[in-house]
Amino acid sequence: MADRSASYADAVAAVARAEGNLDLVADELFRVARALEGSDELRMTLSDRQIPAARRQQIVEDLLGGHASDTTTAMVSMIVAAGRSSDLAGIAQEAVEINARDRGRSVAEVRSAVALTDDQAERLAAALSAATGHQVDVKVVVDPSIMGGVVATIGDEVIDGSVRHRLSQLRDTF
Amino acid sequence: MSKRLWAAAAVVVAAVALSASAASAAGETVGSCIFDELGEAQFEGIEGDGFTAVKNLKTAYKADVEGAEDLKKDFEKDLEGCLEAPNPIIPEVTEIIWGGAAFIVLLALMKWKLFPVVKNLMEQRTQRIQDAIDDADRQRAEAAEVKANYEAELADAKAEAARIVDEAREQAGAVRADLQARAEADIAEMRERAAADVEASKRQAIADLQSEVSDIALGAAEAVLGRSLEDPEMQRQLVDDYIASVGAGQD
Repeated sequence: MADRSASYADAVAAVARAEGNLDLVADELFRVARALEGSDELRMTLSDRQIPAARRQQIVEDLLGGHASDTTTAMVSMIVAAGRSSDLAGIAQEAVEINARDRGRSVAEVRSAVALTDDQAERLAAALSAATGHQVDVKVVVDPSIMGGVVATIGDEVIDGSVRHRLSQLRDTF
Repeated sequence: MSKRLWAAAAVVVAAVALSASAASAAGETVGSCIFDELGEAQFEGIEGDGFTAVKNLKTAYKADVEGAEDLKKDFEKDLEGCLEAPNPIIPEVTEIIWGGAAFIVLLALMKWKLFPVVKNLMEQRTQRIQDAIDDADRQRAEAAEVKANYEAELADAKAEAARIVDEAREQAGAVRADLQARAEADIAEMRERAAADVEASKRQAIADLQSEVSDIALGAAEAVLGRSLEDPEMQRQLVDDYIASVGAGQD
């Protein structure tokens, strides 16, 4: 599964490099994956093989048309037509990391209960870069389930400062 | 046997004949006795002897002479002595002869005809009695043997009964001991189980209480936090605190 996602990510990255917009495509692909993660109905619709591939591609184009680059729309459409919409999150993650590696940076998936301001995102990227010792790109995911605070995942390392985590620790102490 | 019988019969006949001969020699008939008494009669105070003395006594008696009456009574007693019965034991000689001859003939006939039959009957009776005795002895021996066997069987039965009773008593004791041991083991197990149940219930109650307390406390904390987290400033502050802690190298 991971190898297949990596292969698709390599393909997406290759196309994006060719188009000269890997950074944009990776970011848009990451956002699309997060949007798909937050909508069960959309995820089930795009994964339903009973629906013709052309119809599913049409849905993708309708949703992304005008909101994402043509390359991103084409890549998502291709992945959905191939029946790999369930791997879209992994492919996007791989694409983001490929993009970061190309620029000598790491990717931190940051989950927050509320959207971060640009200032907060910049300060957080700086703090994570200082903590890990190399440059970090921050990809923010709004996740109300963590209640408050931030959870940052860089590779295998997780820095959990969420209210949910604090409550869990409090529950464990009882 | 036969010879001794014949000799005994001859001795009996001879003895009877001899005694009869002696009695006959004494001439003791009633007439001769009276005749002798009359011929030899003499009375004190009465003259004459024999028939004369008797005639004179009669005269004196009629004359009512003193003492005549007593003399007359004494003489009458003497005469009455002649009228006494003949010897009932010793018969007449002829009778003895004829009786002895008849006895011998009868004895011979009996010896010839009756004795063999009687002897045969006696022997048969003797044999029957002997057989009965033998049979009785045999039956007694058999009865003794049966009795001995019965007594032996009775002794064996008593011993077997005693053994069965002993075994039953031992088995009953073993069963009682086993049941008692099981009951004690069950009681101990039930006590241990009850103690374990009580301990588990206590631990569970404490855990439930702690969980309940923690749930209440966490619920209260979450309620307070929930209201606080609705404040955008609080959310911003939490993010800033996180950035600051990451920047300081802390979690």
